[in-house]
Amino acid sequence: MSDGLAIETHDLVKQYGEVRAVNQLNLRVPKEQITAFLGRNGAGKSTTIKMLLGITSPSSGTGSVLGKMIRDASQNREMRRDVAYVVEDKQLYAYMTVEQMVRFARSFYADWKMDQETRLLKQFQLPLRQKVQALSKGMRTKLALLLALARRPQLLILDEPSEGLDPVSIEELLQEIVKAVAAGVTVFFSSHQIAEVERIADRVCIIDHGRLLVDASLDAIRREYRRITLSFEGNAPPISPSFPGVQQVKTSGRQVALLARENADAVVELTRDLHPTSVEVTPVDLREVFLETVKEN
Amino acid sequence: MLWYKAWLETRARFVTSLLALTLFCGLFVHHALGQIRPEWKSDFHRLLYVTQEFMAILWIMSVLLVGMGGIVHEKAVGTSSLSLSFPVSRGRLQHTRVGVGILQVVVLGVVPWLTIFMVSVHANMPVLITQVGFYVALLVSGGLVYYAMAILVSSLIEGAYTAPAVAIGLVFLSVIILDSWFKRVSLWGFLTGAFYIDKKTFELTGHFPWLGTLVCIGAATLMLVASTKAVQRHEF
Repeated sequence: MSDGLAIETHDLVKQYGEVRAVNQLNLRVPKEQITAFLGRNGAGKSTTIKMLLGITSPSSGTGSVLGKMIRDASQNREMRRDVAYVVEDKQLYAYMTVEQMVRFARSFYADWKMDQETRLLKQFQLPLRQKVQALSKGMRTKLALLLALARRPQLLILDEPSEGLDPVSIEELLQEIVKAVAAGVTVFFSSHQIAEVERIADRVCIIDHGRLLVDASLDAIRREYRRITLSFEGNAPPISPSFPGVQQVKTSGRQVALLARENADAVVELTRDLHPTSVEVTPVDLREVFLETVKEN
Repeated sequence: MLWYKAWLETRARFVTSLLALTLFCGLFVHHALGQIRPEWKSDFHRLLYVTQEFMAILWIMSVLLVGMGGIVHEKAVGTSSLSLSFPVSRGRLQHTRVGVGILQVVVLGVVPWLTIFMVSVHANMPVLITQVGFYVALLVSGGLVYYAMAILVSSLIEGAYTAPAVAIGLVFLSVIILDSWFKRVSLWGFLTGAFYIDKKTFELTGHFPWLGTLVCIGAATLMLVASTKAVQRHEF
């Protein structure tokens, strides 16, 4: 397992009966960076996270988190001391009050920061004596975030952390994440909010049907991905989707739109042989890359 | 702090059960003692035996309730991922829950009988403390089997209503089968004291049934070990 990686998996598979929720996943999450884990509902994001934390066991394949093997129960338990995790649906113990929930979580971790806890309680305006079951979804999310952010773990795993939060709270959350990374924490988070990902992520992994389709830095995506639109006098000629460097081809009347994932200049050069009347190259944002990648898959 | 979580999780069920059992025993015995004269010794002991029989029904229902919950149930309510993300083993989660549960089960047996003892003292017909100890020991040791069964069922079945329904069904089934065809090993006969009652005086007599107690504790231990294994293998 590599030193510079917080999370590494090799051909990780999770099979539920006939359904393969995670399919030979090779994930590499570098330390001290923010890695976003994107995918549709049911793409395999939460299952992957659950396998990493030992909540569910892989059907095959291996993996390590912070250098500890995920399939070894005792190593996995040790690893969880250094990992803070915010669960997807933010369900907490309904029979506890906010204060009891915080006290209970605090007891497990040596890296708990009391000053951080006090600050977040104030910032999130959490009512200490209120039962968790009486909290709104947004307040429950804030409490779940407090339990993770009141520590200085080595790795912060957030499963759709902004779900149910108002815009102000989302902004506060993003700032907390950036602050944590500045303090040396690695962040691995899944989200459906691409705008949030574009704002804070260093790296993006896109998963669909359990397979990792994109694993690149956000800078590389912005730099490499291009939409190339070719216009022709008559009907557009057929272009093979296996055109080098091209991820997707869409033909519509006299126009062909290519999604180039690398070497856009070389792709443009190659299309010259097709004698287009015009060639337009435009940058592609992460949203478009995500949509085209999963649609194509 | 896992014990704290186990206590908070079961507190409402435990306190409600304890109050119901204590009130039932106190009121039932207090009322019945008003109908008995101190010299009617056999009637007095018969009353205690009948109380134990009624109490056993309530007590078994209570320990089934206390035994529900746990990490498999948490999957149904959505908190299992949170519990399993803490740096503790599944075995420790289960053992803590069982440990707290066994303490509650003992208290559910002791407090109602202490109430009976105090009511009898107040009515100037004090029951022998040895009889109280005998009844409590039979109830708790025999009843541990039902508690362990509740833990095992709740470690195998997720549903919030399915698990208690199955546990109650199994209790009735076991009582019917053992009482009909295997009377000598009837758990009901053991824990109510029916096997050890003198039919004339209605006093519990003879030596304490250590062998029966050990068998019950052994069966309960086996089910508790099986429940831990089930939790360790469960996919969440």
